Amino acid sequence: MSNVKQVRLIGFGGQGVVLAGTILAHSAIKDGRWVAGSSAYGAQARGGTARYDVIVAEDQIKFPHMISTDILIAFSQKAYDESLGQLSQENALVIYDDLLVKPITLDKADQIGVPATDRAIKDLGNKQAANMVMLAAAAVLTGLTSQTSLVKALEENSAARFLEINRKALALGQEIGLNIKKNINRKE
Amino acid sequence: MNDTNEINSALSPGSYFFTGNEAAAEGAIAAGCRYYAGYPITPSSEIMERMSQRLRDVSGVFMQMEDEIASICSVVGASWSGAKSMTATSGPGFSLMQEAIGYGVFTETPLVIVDIQRAGPCTGQATKVGSGDLMQAKWGSHGDYQIIALSPWSVQEMYDQTIDAFNLSEQYRVPVFVMSDEAVGHLRERMDISPTLRVTNRYKKSGAAPFGTEEKDGVPPMPSFGEGENITVTGSTHNEFGVRKTDDPNVQEKLVGRLNHKILNNREEIVQSESYYMDDADVIVIAYGFTARSAFFAVDQLRKTGKKAGLLRLKTIWPFADKLITEIGRKGKKLFVPEMNSGQVYGEIRKYADCEVIPYHQTNGRIIHPKDIMQHIERIL
Repeated sequence: MSNVKQVRLIGFGGQGVVLAGTILAHSAIKDGRWVAGSSAYGAQARGGTARYDVIVAEDQIKFPHMISTDILIAFSQKAYDESLGQLSQENALVIYDDLLVKPITLDKADQIGVPATDRAIKDLGNKQAANMVMLAAAAVLTGLTSQTSLVKALEENSAARFLEINRKALALGQEIGLNIKKNINRKE
Repeated sequence: MNDTNEINSALSPGSYFFTGNEAAAEGAIAAGCRYYAGYPITPSSEIMERMSQRLRDVSGVFMQMEDEIASICSVVGASWSGAKSMTATSGPGFSLMQEAIGYGVFTETPLVIVDIQRAGPCTGQATKVGSGDLMQAKWGSHGDYQIIALSPWSVQEMYDQTIDAFNLSEQYRVPVFVMSDEAVGHLRERMDISPTLRVTNRYKKSGAAPFGTEEKDGVPPMPSFGEGENITVTGSTHNEFGVRKTDDPNVQEKLVGRLNHKILNNREEIVQSESYYMDDADVIVIAYGFTARSAFFAVDQLRKTGKKAGLLRLKTIWPFADKLITEIGRKGKKLFVPEMNSGQVYGEIRKYADCEVIPYHQTNGRIIHPKDIMQHIERIL
């Protein structure tokens, strides 16, 4: 992982985007990294879009807000469309839910579709768990945080009644992420 | 003199992911705050919310009062009862507190006020950021006095400076302000808690005059109610034993003089700052609070392209870093002062710096972006 990564998780309200961002942040701290996070506040939080920005760095963070998006994790078409304009000029990566987002061709960014919602429904029978599937897959694909820390962060931040399903969702996401990574490596 | 102890942190040592507001509450608990009174107001309410939970854990007292006037008055009372006490507020709430802040100053009551500054005046933009309360912190109450005001730039510093604020308030018997802003209050960041911290305790001396001293630091010992001392606490002019002297020019002058001097004469001890890339800088940015984060990033980026920019960050706003600014002004560099107000600190810098000082004001309720600071510095260079 390079020194500073600016990550935007974005979708619509109710998808658990803020929880996913919060767990990513806690998890990266457990890895010993420096983290800053911010979500929409006030009137801007009342619209349909839910957003959580996380900056993950190896050293103390100078400016704690996002300047441009190095890693975009998009949970919906609207969120995807709205966020492309903020992508960093170099080495940007877009990770999207392949059931909910139809990607357009991008010159300057790599894009990876993750079947988070699809597999959450098929494997876990619970589409609400797609956020954790996505998070664990993204962690594998980006190296932002370790699976061990993710599980610990989940245990500290998830409501008890959702803990079991979320644990399974993280394991599923990790498996999906590793498979995608294997295929990318094979192609290269 | 006050004694300072090393005590264990209230939270287990380690890394946490707090908002600035949560960190301020944790700093207060760690520093020994055992009384909080407040009235919720955006964007400071999370401090009150967390204090309502955490004071219960440490057998402290939490009061939701009917308004901010009652809040600050009860904090003054609780402090005289021996409890380290605080309140937090924002915007209009800070305005309501001003009269009793003067009472706190005149009765030399240690207390801490966290002001999460928002875009004003008046109701303004309640959820948006500003730094417009700095002069209000200095002289918002009537009369002639000095206080201490700190300016945190990170979640870590919301914790650290709230502890500092309690220690300074006990050491100098004065209200201390943590002049934060919405951007820092609502920022969520990693912060680290060390195993121990240093805590200053109230200086007590049986039978000593509670409102006068011949000691060099100008800070008298402070008894609490219930310890067997005879105490009169009054907002009228009083002699060293608290007896009202509303017609005596000497008592008035002596008291007001000491209240000012106990801060100003000790300002070398109180004032704190940090500097980055200053030695060979052609332009020095002077910033505080969240704006200093933008400035830090901007200066760092400019250095990567060989442009000689530096940063002086004020951690203390009041008393002002006059000596430091005078020294920097003598070096003949250009100073650039970005602020989320119309130049409240810029005016102070102008008083002391004998060099070119360029202000940048932004009062639109938004943070000053690093790009704006970079553009301005490039123009100045």
